[in-house]
Amino acid sequence: MTEKPGTIFGEGDTLTPVVCEVTQGRVDRYAKASGDFNPIHVDEKFAAGSHFGKRVAHGMLVAAQISEMMTQSFGHDWLRNGRLKLRFKAPVYPGDVVTSRGVVKSVNEVGGLKTVVCNVEVVRQTEEFAITGEASVVISGGRA
Amino acid sequence: MDIETVSRYVDAVGDETFDSPVMRREDSKQVYVPAMAVAAISVRGVVNDLQIPGGTLHLGQELQFLDIVPLGETLVCMATLAQNSVRGGQRILVVSLDVENGLGRTVMTGKSTIAVPA
Repeated sequence: MTEKPGTIFGEGDTLTPVVCEVTQGRVDRYAKASGDFNPIHVDEKFAAGSHFGKRVAHGMLVAAQISEMMTQSFGHDWLRNGRLKLRFKAPVYPGDVVTSRGVVKSVNEVGGLKTVVCNVEVVRQTEEFAITGEASVVISGGRA
Repeated sequence: MDIETVSRYVDAVGDETFDSPVMRREDSKQVYVPAMAVAAISVRGVVNDLQIPGGTLHLGQELQFLDIVPLGETLVCMATLAQNSVRGGQRILVVSLDVENGLGRTVMTGKSTIAVPA
């Protein structure tokens, strides 16, 4: 289904994916924005000597695509009642195209509040998992 | 969370929702900060406070967003070292994060798991 904030979700529904090309320029800009200048991300020489052999993107830069996807789907509810648990499984390299995907795992109602739980992941163009995890959001007004 | 800081973040991650109505308060021109921008600032605090060395890897991240953060809000980010252990030749640190707004209300909590070169 194609969703937007306000959509009613059910088990098995898929969220609209977010696709993004990760460039070194983007990694450098993220370093400036976040203050994370770990040389594994920004220093070509240092990264060449690491076990990755080249620079890798910040995990949180890639994870931002998941939050974007959740914001698209759940709007303000995500901003004020969102929960995310992620594992960084594999590096994302500049030049990779990554896709964030999500599937509704369950919709639970407790005390009149509905919580939508989604399996989320980010995959590289090779279909290798870069990030896996779970995102949940409490829906205001009980809609879900 | 001034417009310059947030715009730099949005430009880096390419978050297209920032320009959409969902990031605006319906009855005013107030703009909301992307949830992960709040988290990115928290991680910056961790990097600075713990003087984490180069080559450190981010293994896992938990986040809970508890309230909307409007543009212009002042945030206080606190990081606590919750766990420090050695596993398989790597030092594993778990850092708890708490972010409060100007009223002292918690807007985000989190937990970062990182591996520091031994």
